[in-house]
Amino acid sequence: MATLAPQAPAITAEPRTKPKRSGMAAAQRRAGLLFVAPYVLFFVILQAGAFGFAIWVSFHHYDLLALDNPFVGLRNYLRLPANADFMKAMGNTVEYAVVVVILQTAFALLLAVLLDTKIKGRNFFRSTWYTPSIASSVVISMIFLYVYHPTGLLNSILGVFGIHTTIAYLQSTTWALPAIMFLNIWTTAPTFMLMFLAGLQDIPREIYEAAEVDGAGAVRKLLSVTIPLLRPIIFLVVSLGIIGAFQVFDQVFIMTNGGPLKATLTVAYLIYLNLFKDTGTVGIACAEAVTLGLIIFGLTLLSRRVIDTKIEY
Amino acid sequence: MSIATPLAGTNAPIVAAEEERRPQPDTTERTNQLEAVVRYILYGIITLFLFIPFAMTVLSSFKTSAEVIAFPPTLLPSVWHPENYLRVFTETQNFPRQVFNGFFVTLIVVALNLFFDALVGYAFARLEFPFKNLLFALMIGTMVIPGFVFFVPRFIMLQHAGLINTYGALPVLYFVQPAYILLMTQFFKSIPKELEEAAIMDGLGWFGIFWKIVMPLARPALLATGILTFAGMWNNFLDWLIYMQTSNMFNIQLGLATFRSVYQNQWDLIMAGSVIAILPILIVYVAGQRYFVRGIATTGLK
Repeated sequence: MATLAPQAPAITAEPRTKPKRSGMAAAQRRAGLLFVAPYVLFFVILQAGAFGFAIWVSFHHYDLLALDNPFVGLRNYLRLPANADFMKAMGNTVEYAVVVVILQTAFALLLAVLLDTKIKGRNFFRSTWYTPSIASSVVISMIFLYVYHPTGLLNSILGVFGIHTTIAYLQSTTWALPAIMFLNIWTTAPTFMLMFLAGLQDIPREIYEAAEVDGAGAVRKLLSVTIPLLRPIIFLVVSLGIIGAFQVFDQVFIMTNGGPLKATLTVAYLIYLNLFKDTGTVGIACAEAVTLGLIIFGLTLLSRRVIDTKIEY
Repeated sequence: MSIATPLAGTNAPIVAAEEERRPQPDTTERTNQLEAVVRYILYGIITLFLFIPFAMTVLSSFKTSAEVIAFPPTLLPSVWHPENYLRVFTETQNFPRQVFNGFFVTLIVVALNLFFDALVGYAFARLEFPFKNLLFALMIGTMVIPGFVFFVPRFIMLQHAGLINTYGALPVLYFVQPAYILLMTQFFKSIPKELEEAAIMDGLGWFGIFWKIVMPLARPALLATGILTFAGMWNNFLDWLIYMQTSNMFNIQLGLATFRSVYQNQWDLIMAGSVIAILPILIVYVAGQRYFVRGIATTGLK
């Protein structure tokens, strides 16, 4: 799902200078309302309407085929903590999100810092490093089914280094979740690399030069200049990372179906199962989705607090 | 002499200092060279790390199924099998149709977004109308709502509209995208108003101004919106999974995913299908890299 950083409220549409004649102003108002109508339609039906509907469904015992869907109040929510599948899925999702968000942010920053130099072949490196991000989740999953195959790419490479193993990573309760984590860090970091790179290019060279005069080395410059000045982008990347990681679905669906033994069962995958595979659980699915939404929203706010910064563009 | 002595006196330390300093540039040059070598090795390792899976996928797509996962592994195909690409189209059910579906729906969604995102973006950037700031704030605020919240209600809505498993489903859900409205708004704010003001004087209506004056100027932003929408829709898996139900309505992504569960061990076809699925995006990416990169940097979208 397409999402954008919550930092954007800083941007507000500027009022236009008032037209001289009221006839022109009225014409502009009419044109404005007409032009913006497609978005209003989208917002009212597909966003606000859909959101309200999701909450309404979450208060009912709901089935897509049933004629009567009785009101059950908060029951769908209150039963979540006692729902073993939900708690297992939530545990996996939190573990997954913590590891993925931290590592992909760090890796993306490293890639961007490495590219933000006058090295020869910079464009070549940028293009090739970005390729994991242009492929679809399905193609990436297919590639990694081959990578993680017992006689696939990973074990072949390990074999070159003298480590001979035929672990079936995706069939192992120990390795399946880390395998999906690794895949997602690999495929998402290059996107964030581009965002960091754009941010790095906005940092004035003089600040680095001043730091060099003060005798700062490469690491010191990274910690004292680059990271503090990149805080708005770090916040953006962490928020987008949280939003994405908490909704991890495609790779689970394609590669493991939540297995083995629910080792890769995530909240998003559970919602899908409750929606389309189980019966009479649509209300529960909505309660799970709303809960997931609240958690993501809360964490986004929290990360803003932690990274605590005034965002300006 | 009395003058020369101090000179000589000062000269000597300078020479000494120079002699002391001279070896230094050499060592820094040497460390620079060493640093450059270490650097390129590091860059090389990262490049291999991020690129090898693709290279191996392309090579594997020319191997036999058995050779893809053969042990010990082969780098190049022992015999090249370009016919794998033909076999994907002929031996997998509905594959040509799925390629068509992907293109067809993606192009409709791109066309809708180019027009509507620009139209709405222009209104937010230039026109004065009631509730403008409120609507703009709502648009930004709702972008963080996770997509999973919307699936049930949107599914039920589409079901009532009779659009489930039709070409209409995704265009109806994605005819505008707030992120690209924002991208267009920011672009329109950045261009000078003079041309439009002249057009107002000429009595061209607002739609005329938008269509004849502003849209031709908006090429870079439209390209970014178009390319990113194309990539998002072509690569989309989840929406197709939820709103489409029969294999003749799938796109290539969903087709590949289900294909994999049916033909578990046909690695040759899985690899060739993957290459075909990535090809349009690769072409769009190479051709429009400038806009692609800028669009991602400004919207944070993939």
